[in-house]
This record gives sequence, structure tokens and C-alpha cells, in this order.
Amino acid sequence: MEALSSTKALKLSLPATHFLKTSPFNSSFKPQLLNYNSHFHGRYKGALSFTVSCKLKSPQDIENKRKGISKRIVLSEVAPPPLTEDDDVRGDENGKIPVKIESRGGISKLGKMLSRRVLTVLSNLPLAIGEMFSIAALMALGTFIEQVLLGASLMACTYTTQIPLVKVARRWTFLHSAEAIRKQEFADSLPRASIRDVGIILMGAGYEVFLKGPSLYAFKGLAGRFAPIGVHLALLLIMAGGTLSATGSFKGSVTVPQGLNFVIGDVLGPTGFLSTPSEDFNTEVHVNRFYMDYFDSGEVSQFHTDLSLFDIDGKEVMRKTISVNDPLRYGGITIYQTDWSISALQVLKDDEGPFNLAMAPLKINGDKKLYGTFLPVGDVNSPNLKGISMLARDLQSIVLYDQEGKFAGVRRPNSNLPIDIDGMKIVIADAIGSSGLDMKTDPGVPIVYAGFGALMLTTCISYLSHSQIWALQDGTTVIIGGKSNRAKVEFPEEMNRLLDKVPEIIESSVSESRG
Amino acid sequence: MIFSTLEHILTHISFSVVSIVITIHLITLLVNETVRLYDSSEKGMRVTFFCITGLLVTRWIFSGHLPLSDLYESLIFLSWSFSIFHMVPYFKKHKKHLSAIIAPSVIFTQGFATSGLLTEMHQSAILVPALQSHWLMMHVSMMVLGYAALLCGSLLSVALLVITFRKVIRILGKRHNLLNESFSFGEIKYMNERNSVLRNTSFLSSRNYYRSQLIQQLDRWSYRIISLGFIFLTIGILSGAVWANEAWGSYWNWDPKETWAFITWTIFAIYLHTRKNKKLEGVNSAIVASIGFLIIWICYFGINLLGIGLHSYGSFLSN
Repeated sequence: MEALSSTKALKLSLPATHFLKTSPFNSSFKPQLLNYNSHFHGRYKGALSFTVSCKLKSPQDIENKRKGISKRIVLSEVAPPPLTEDDDVRGDENGKIPVKIESRGGISKLGKMLSRRVLTVLSNLPLAIGEMFSIAALMALGTFIEQVLLGASLMACTYTTQIPLVKVARRWTFLHSAEAIRKQEFADSLPRASIRDVGIILMGAGYEVFLKGPSLYAFKGLAGRFAPIGVHLALLLIMAGGTLSATGSFKGSVTVPQGLNFVIGDVLGPTGFLSTPSEDFNTEVHVNRFYMDYFDSGEVSQFHTDLSLFDIDGKEVMRKTISVNDPLRYGGITIYQTDWSISALQVLKDDEGPFNLAMAPLKINGDKKLYGTFLPVGDVNSPNLKGISMLARDLQSIVLYDQEGKFAGVRRPNSNLPIDIDGMKIVIADAIGSSGLDMKTDPGVPIVYAGFGALMLTTCISYLSHSQIWALQDGTTVIIGGKSNRAKVEFPEEMNRLLDKVPEIIESSVSESRG
Repeated sequence: MIFSTLEHILTHISFSVVSIVITIHLITLLVNETVRLYDSSEKGMRVTFFCITGLLVTRWIFSGHLPLSDLYESLIFLSWSFSIFHMVPYFKKHKKHLSAIIAPSVIFTQGFATSGLLTEMHQSAILVPALQSHWLMMHVSMMVLGYAALLCGSLLSVALLVITFRKVIRILGKRHNLLNESFSFGEIKYMNERNSVLRNTSFLSSRNYYRSQLIQQLDRWSYRIISLGFIFLTIGILSGAVWANEAWGSYWNWDPKETWAFITWTIFAIYLHTRKNKKLEGVNSAIVASIGFLIIWICYFGINLLGIGLHSYGSFLSN
């Protein structure tokens, strides 16, 4: 690509750059940074630095639809539309190339060129397509390791967000040719009007108006333009936090019968290479009490555990009763109530005991569980050992069966009511439950939450539409064109309404109103 | 006792009203449009909306928790969201073609929910401990609203595809020199510079002009509704992740339902991005949205059929 460094060459070269479409595969198109500052100094105040670089269709555009992009270079015969608005990174309006306008007023340095070339290659279309596709396909198959996916999607997102980030530096440009304006989505011309009136009316409608000579540029809803960038940043943040979580946290779970205790450090295991234990891992957790609430129908409504935390010196540092959806947080460690089971039955037989009979799970279906235990009667070593069976669905009531397997009765542990089975007096003293606790430390959570919040916010904001309007005073006619990135339905109507308000100028006063 | 009979009445009223509305729409299709009929269909949809609202409120009062805990209730919520989305464009004085698409959705959802398949679920059940949380409201309602909006938008895109491709089949038989005469419409002229050939070949008569206007309207409305649905879906997924973190300690488990919700999110993100590029707008983005339609149903329904994973509350088998 020839150097575009002279003003004279402006008219010739711009159309060429204008309609360039290069293949992303073909990076023979070298990126160049050009500074038009000095050239434009006299005419356009407010540095319009213009950089043309190798066409980088942002990987976002791609998706599977874009495999067959046209690779021709089309030169236009139209008189030079000097600086065409190139709205957003991903796409081009009106069939023009997305000229990636890079740094503002930057001078071409070797280092920058190199990095940009690397970027070119890395943010390459097929690479990103491949990444996104593989992620989606693998997710659908559901057979993948979290870290690998996180890493892959992090890469994809990084490259897709570099480009919109850079777009922040862009400035708004004026359109100086009637042709370009007419090509906008909404275009109209007012035969006898002044561009000043248009400007005033637009200002009244909430637009930011910039008037320069015979041309005008107005926009509204700036947030709607930058919000998509925010969305990608938020996604990056989430990915980073997720990676940190995956590599730097500790997880563990334990089932503790009521009355026992454990040390946190014994239960937690690292998940990745960044996991480092903290002093709080020496804390000892006592399960003081485990109990459950029930609905009237008998089903489990909620289960609670009363926990005490003791530090290494034996001092109690925290006491809390946790339940599902209400975890305990201490020093970066969070303890969740996730499960329950029945650990043992305390039974008195003929006033002897209490015997602790361990309960075994017979059938587990979510919160519907069945536990059973067996009190042997007679010689333990004989082959036909018989005994009393006890089944429990929860800690509320125990069902007892005699030695033949026949139903004997139901008892509640709290009642201490004896039951007579085969001549033996059985008292259920207590049903001891055990608490299923999950614990973890996760350094990535604050980052991920921040990313979540940012994502929600920026997604909502990006729903706002960003409208841009250009106008040109051509003799006594004002040519107006505009577009909106979201409100495609309402924008033309709004424009029509506004343009109706522009006063029509009668012949005699035309010369005065022209700026 | 009163509540369950009240529920029954409301369910059946809404079901019948919606079927009447559909019938009216069909009649207007076959016979000439009568404005009076159209008005009554609007009123019918509003009646449906109130009935379903009443149904939901009744269930809420009766069971003590927000009616979102299992498949049946979320289906009712879905048809409620459909009727809301139906009414929104009505307030903006826009198109009745939306109504033609949304009303059948409402009826199918409602019909399925009340059908015999789910009779066991009709009684309001108790909430298991894991669902007893304030997050339930936010997460499930946002997800269902998001599904409703995305389904509406995808249906509009499907309609767009149907209309477009019906023309193609007919166009293929016509001669190409008629193309040149199509450039006389000033307003549509700039549209010709845009993407697909399909559009260019469509301006062969004024009838096709109106049809292309319809296509454009469908396209834009689909875009708007899908963007809105995307926001709801994002908020729903993220609130679900935060809830999971509060309840189980991990905000993403690659649970089937979570995974498919993420896939849905990705597909619609693809859709939004294809809209940015003028080349891909129109038919291509409509194809993506139609794929999204299928994926939403897989995510919402198919996973429940499997009945596995953390989201098994909605399963047919869990009862």
C-alpha cells in the first residue's frame, strides 16, 4: 500500500482505502499509521488523525456465517468522501470496509507496528471462529474440564475485546459530502432550510450538536455506544476471576455427626497451583447440634446446624447456626449446609445401654432418604441371626420391625416411650443426625461478582440507542442523514417529527441565515 | 378448597379465551379483515392476561411462595410473560402481526400446562430447602421472562424466514431484466445497496413492496425483542450463579441446565453480533435466531425431561 502522506494524494488515496476489503488470512497488507494532523491543520481543527491499517474484521463479526467474505478491492468512482464514519468495530455500514482507526495522533513506530501485526494475526478470524465453535460444541457435549474451557474462552474474549477497546479512542467525524449523507439509513433533504435551525431543533431534542461551517454532526445516547465495550470488559473480568477461582481455591466437604468436630485444614483440598492455605485453616469446627424442620405433611422443610469455631488456642471465635442458603463465613472460608444424613440411633434395650446403632443409608433420592439399622437378638455368631430392624426417613420418627420382619410400631425419639417387641422393651433414646457441610475458599469471588455486576449493568445500558445525525448545507438545501444503532424502528419517526419542526426559509432571508 | 376451584376456573377461562382469539385470527386470515374482529381479539388477549395473572396470584397466596417452583408453574409464568410481551407493542401502537405470533404461543404453553401430562403437578407443592431463598424470585422470573422474549423474537425471525423463502421459490421463475425496474422506489433504494440478493429481487410489484416492508418490520422488531430478552437472560443467568454460590459454594457447575442456558446466551450473542454487520443482517441473523428458538426449547424443556442435575426440580420424574 503506498504511503498516504501528502495532501494532494488525499483525494486519490482515500477512496482506495475506503473500499478496501482484504482477507484476514492475507496479512500482506501491512498496517500503517498515518498522521494527518499537520495536513489538515488549516481546514479541520481538532485533529482528525487517521490511521489505516490492515483490515481486521473483529472476530465477533465472524460467526459461522462469514466464511465467504469477499476478497476484492473495489475502487470507487465517486468523488472523495473524505472521512467516512465507521460506526463500530464489528461492521461496516453501506458496504464499506471497517477501517480500523487506531491510535489517536500516533506516529508510526516500529514497536507499535509489530505489536499490531501480532494482534492482527492473533485476532485472526479463523482462530477466533475455531475457539468459539469448539467452546460451544464442547459445552453441548458436556464433556469438558472447566479449566480448559475457561482458558480457551478467556483467550477468545481477550482478542475480541482488544479491538473494541481501541475504538474508544476514536473521534467523531463529519461527513462532508452529500452523497455520503444520503447513503445513511435515514436520509432526507429540506429544500429551504438553514442548518443552524436544524442544529437548534436537534439540541432541543436532546442531541449534542457540533456545527462546523456548512456541516453538522449530532449524536444522542453516548452510553449506548460505549456500553458494548463495557460488556466485553466485564466478560474479561469474569473470565479472569473464574480462572483465579479455578486455580487458586480450596474445596472440601464433610459429613459430621452431631457432637463431633473437625479441623478445617484437614477437609479442604486445593484445586490448582495458585492455592495457598491461610492461617484460618487451623480452625476447629464443632457441630454442636443438628436439627431439621418439617412441613405438616412430614417432608423436610429445612435443616440447621449449630456450629462453633475454635481457633488454634482453643478460644471460641464464632458461633452460628447455618442452614441451606445461609452459610457461615469466617476468614475467607465459607461453610455451607448442603446435606444431611442420619448417623446413629441411641437405643435402650431392657433398660440397658444406651447402645449406639449406626444407621446405614438404604435409599437416597434427593431429600427423600431412608436409613436403617439392626439390633441383633441372640447369639451374634449364629448363622440365622435375627433382630429388630429400625427404619427412619428423618429424625422425627422411627419405624420398628420385629424379628420376623413384621411391623411393630412407630416411635418418636423425644418421647422416650418404650415399645415391646418379642418380649424386649426397646426405648429409642435419640436419633443422631449428621450434617453435610461443604466448605471452600475462593479468592476469585470478589472479582467474579464485580464482573457480574458490571455485565448486568453494561448489558442494560447497551440497550439504549445511540443515534447519530449528519447534515450538510448545500445551497439553500439542507441534506440530513442519520442512523441509530438500536432504535431502528423509532428513529425514522423521531427524525420525521423533528424535521417537521424546522422552519422553512423564504427566498429573501436566505442569504442572512446562511452561516 | 376454594383456591383450587378458583384456579381451575381461571385456567380454563384463559385457555378458552386464547383459543377463541386464535380462531379469530385464523378467520381474519381467511376472510377479509374486519377491524371489529381485530379489536375483540385484542380484548380477548387482555382478558387472558388478567386471567393468568389471577391464576398466578391465587397460587401465590395459596401456597405461600412465589409460583415458580416447578415446571407447571414456570409454564404458567411463561404464558403470562408472553401475554405481557404481546401487550407492550400494542401500547406503542404497533403491529398486529406480533399478535398473530404471540397468541398461539400463549395458547400452546397454557394448553400444554393444563393438559393431562402434568396433572400431578397441578397441586402446589412445598418448597424444598434449597429453593427457600429470595433468589428464587429474581433468578427464575428473569429466566422465564428472558425465555419468553427470546422465543417471541425467534418466532418473528422464523416468520421472516418463511416469508422470505416463499418468495424465493416464486422469484426463481421470473426473469432477471425485471430487476432494473425495481430501482424506482426512492425510499427503498438504499436498501438495495445492502446485503442479500433476495431483497433486491423482491421489488417486482407493489405487493412485494409491502411484503418487503413487512420483512423489514419483522426484522427490526425481532431485533428489539431479542435484545430485551438477552438482557433478561443475562440477569437471570448471573443471578442464578450468585444464588448457587450462596447455596452450594460454587457459581458454575457445568450442570446440564446451566450449560444449555449458557449456550442459549451464546447463540443470541452471536445473533446480536451478526446484526452489526450489514452483510449478515436480514436472512442470516434470522437463521441464527431460529436456531436459538430450538435451543431455548432444549434448554427449558429437554433438560427437564432428562431429569438430572441440580435443576431437577422441574423434572417430570421428580414427583
